[in-house]
Amino acid sequence: MSVLDVQNLSVKYLTENGASDVINNISLRVEQGEIVGLVGESGSGKSTAMKAVMGLLGEDAAVSSDRITVCGHRPVPGQNAAMIFQDSLSCLNPSVKIGRQLKETVRIRRKCSRKEALERSEELLDLVGIRNPSIRMRQYPFELSGGMRQRVVLATALACEPELIIADEPTTALDAVVQAQILLLLKRVVKETKTSLLLVSHDMGVIAAMCSRVYVMHQGRIVESGTAEDIFYAPMEEYTKRLLKDARGGRLERMQERKDVGRENIILKMEHVTKSFEANEGVRDFSMEIRKGEVFALVGESGSGKTTAARILAGIQREDEGTLYYRGQIIDRRQRMDSLGGRVQMVFQDPYTSLNPCLTVRRMLEEALEAAARRTAAKSGTGRKADRKEMRKTASEKIRKILELTGLSQEDADRCPWDFSGGQRQRIGIARALIVEPELLVCDEALSSLDASSREKILELILRIQKKVGFACLFISHDMNVVKRISDRVGVMYGGHIVEAGKTKSVCSDPWHPYTKQLMEAVPEADPIRSAKIKAVREKGGADSGGSGCPFAGRCGYAMECCTEKEPEDYIFEGRKVSCFLYSEEHSGRRSRGYKMSSQI
Amino acid sequence: MLGYTCKRILTGIFSLFVLITVTFFLVRLIPGSPFQQGGVSDQVVEAIEQEYGLHDPVFIQYISYIVNLLHGDLGISYQDPATRVTDIIARAWPVTASVGITALAVSVFLGTGAGIVKAVSRRRCVKEMISAAGMLSAGIPSFAAAILLLLVFSVKLKWLPASGLLSPAHYILPVTALSLYPSAMIARLTANALDGELKKEYVLFARAKGMGKWRTVLTHALKNAYLPVLNYVGPSSAALLTGSFVIESIFTIPGLGREFVGSITNRDYTLILGLTIFMGAVVIFVNLLTDLLCAWLDPQTRRAYREEKM
Repeated sequence: MSVLDVQNLSVKYLTENGASDVINNISLRVEQGEIVGLVGESGSGKSTAMKAVMGLLGEDAAVSSDRITVCGHRPVPGQNAAMIFQDSLSCLNPSVKIGRQLKETVRIRRKCSRKEALERSEELLDLVGIRNPSIRMRQYPFELSGGMRQRVVLATALACEPELIIADEPTTALDAVVQAQILLLLKRVVKETKTSLLLVSHDMGVIAAMCSRVYVMHQGRIVESGTAEDIFYAPMEEYTKRLLKDARGGRLERMQERKDVGRENIILKMEHVTKSFEANEGVRDFSMEIRKGEVFALVGESGSGKTTAARILAGIQREDEGTLYYRGQIIDRRQRMDSLGGRVQMVFQDPYTSLNPCLTVRRMLEEALEAAARRTAAKSGTGRKADRKEMRKTASEKIRKILELTGLSQEDADRCPWDFSGGQRQRIGIARALIVEPELLVCDEALSSLDASSREKILELILRIQKKVGFACLFISHDMNVVKRISDRVGVMYGGHIVEAGKTKSVCSDPWHPYTKQLMEAVPEADPIRSAKIKAVREKGGADSGGSGCPFAGRCGYAMECCTEKEPEDYIFEGRKVSCFLYSEEHSGRRSRGYKMSSQI
Repeated sequence: MLGYTCKRILTGIFSLFVLITVTFFLVRLIPGSPFQQGGVSDQVVEAIEQEYGLHDPVFIQYISYIVNLLHGDLGISYQDPATRVTDIIARAWPVTASVGITALAVSVFLGTGAGIVKAVSRRRCVKEMISAAGMLSAGIPSFAAAILLLLVFSVKLKWLPASGLLSPAHYILPVTALSLYPSAMIARLTANALDGELKKEYVLFARAKGMGKWRTVLTHALKNAYLPVLNYVGPSSAALLTGSFVIESIFTIPGLGREFVGSITNRDYTLILGLTIFMGAVVIFVNLLTDLLCAWLDPQTRRAYREEKM
């Protein structure tokens, strides 16, 4: 008997103007101990279907089906079926300790005493790889890292002792390294507890790494199903082929190699910048340069200080120490906004919260222009009030042009953000940044909250405009696949410091720093055979060297004695920078003038 | 946490001091003398004023008042020299507080309950009825409601006594009149906040792990939803505890509110000051209590307070 058997499930949403079909006659089967994938773009109805299976949809949804059974019974949440969701932070009650949330689940399921529930909870946390469970139990969700929280969510699901776990995008909010850890954990747990797993994801790589069978969903229907090998190596449907092509980046090759931009064309440079926070996301002795018209990418796990570096560069945050140069001139710390004014613009991560919901697109763009006009007026010192009519006219002309450039229609100007999808909102964000013609565009994880297809489109858009207009771009991402394709040069960040920097092509194909290598290995490819080899990186833990020593030493397989004692310097070889003792003279021997360094790992 | 509390108490004492100073000088600006009524001759008034030290420079009076205050002495009432101000407060406050606390309890229970039902109920008519009742009770000013209640329940129907506070039955009308507005507000705030919380994913997750609907609401959502409510309940409970002039006059309750009105018409300097200081202290204390309660509910606020330095 199948663990999950769904026959002809349909879901309609009852709205004021009649019913709208969301899910159309889908059928699914999951066998004992099997990991099955359900893949599709966002908006294809994956989540709705899963909530319908669990019986968690609201009253405005009409669910009909011939059969939904879990091991022959009706699915009961918390008894024979459990579900985990994408965002581990919003899944856990922010004001209740982890332990209590876990214990209450155990007690609902087992009807046992408090003491037994406590013991069982610690056992579960141990099972999902959390060390010191008794300490973690007394913490609140916001005190844990994203990966840790997702482990807790999984432990809570396991507390239900279900036959079936439905995981709805369980790793989408995590960076590659943590994602690999969680995926491997899911695999291990399924094996050990003999539950079945239905994995819902938009990421073909994740599906390829995990699943033995796959269902492809498109616009509320299952368009194709089969074994992972069939789907990935011999897809039948156009839609599946398109998904695979997007995932493998086939649609967009990196633009032909651009001429090297010389060092004399550096627009912005940060040297030895330090900024510390109580939490661990500051930057430490951070140096970086951005040259005219290039795309420089910063990659690294969450909390590595990427965003802080970008914010200091854009003048939103102030550094504790260090110097910033604009075209060779030091920028005064206090007049950052004035002297950079408008030359650096930012596109933020979350398109849902970074746009004011009450303003129309036109108003947002006008506001950006007005701010720019005020800055130039202040700078020229004349304070002249430009002819308002004239300004209006040029403004509307500029708005027309920028909408065209970012692929929005002219009518979109008079709409408010809630009319748009995530991808379109990100277009608005880009339009807002580019309308003042900046020299540098900072994209802070601008693609992370989008699904594969809209990510492709936005990536393409940024590249196209960048080529056309020729601004420099600082592109921040945790996704190696994106970085590989968009950037000319890349900086790999760990613990607030760039550990390796160089041309993207050489860094990605031949990583020098052990962390870069781990990062590259953690990314699952849309290929079941190759991605079966994803490796988990050791969880950051007690082995972290406190203060002195290389911050990566605790997780590094190559760590030597000197790594725990002092910090490595930056070693530079032909424009490639690496901060690791493997490349020191002590380690690789004395070097002659024309010495060619190669990877030591 | 202790550091935060100490800091708050110190700033509270400072604001109390500012309050005392401002009130002291404002009171002296009221035209006329505290001893002018009752047809006494000007010479007598002069003599009494001399006796009370009212002819000294205002600043000297201020200093001596502050010195007495530091000894815990609020002075004697000018109107009734046989009683001390502290005695008046000790007599009137328990009356006000008993009505106020009852009204507070009623509005918190009624308001929260109605709010939860409104947010959770699936029936449209229930939701509409609760919001209509809320609108009505928030819309009628308390003095109108008080007079209406008096007319209906004690004059026409003769079910309940009209004035005084002799038995529990006497409490019903003033407490009802007092708690109408706060309970409507609390119900509204609870319903809105809970509505927002119920849309969040942790509620869905709690349901997915097998918790019942009501249990999810009561043990998970309500705790997060109650923060904004608490921020309303705090300040409004300060108002309830210091007494409503209007309600106390209508139901002839011998509480702080009536004393306050009386003290101003009589220009009873010491009593005005004493009552102001007392009410100010109550407001400051209740606000501190609210903030500590919020911290108790919300671990993030708690952490922020804990990290705050002295």
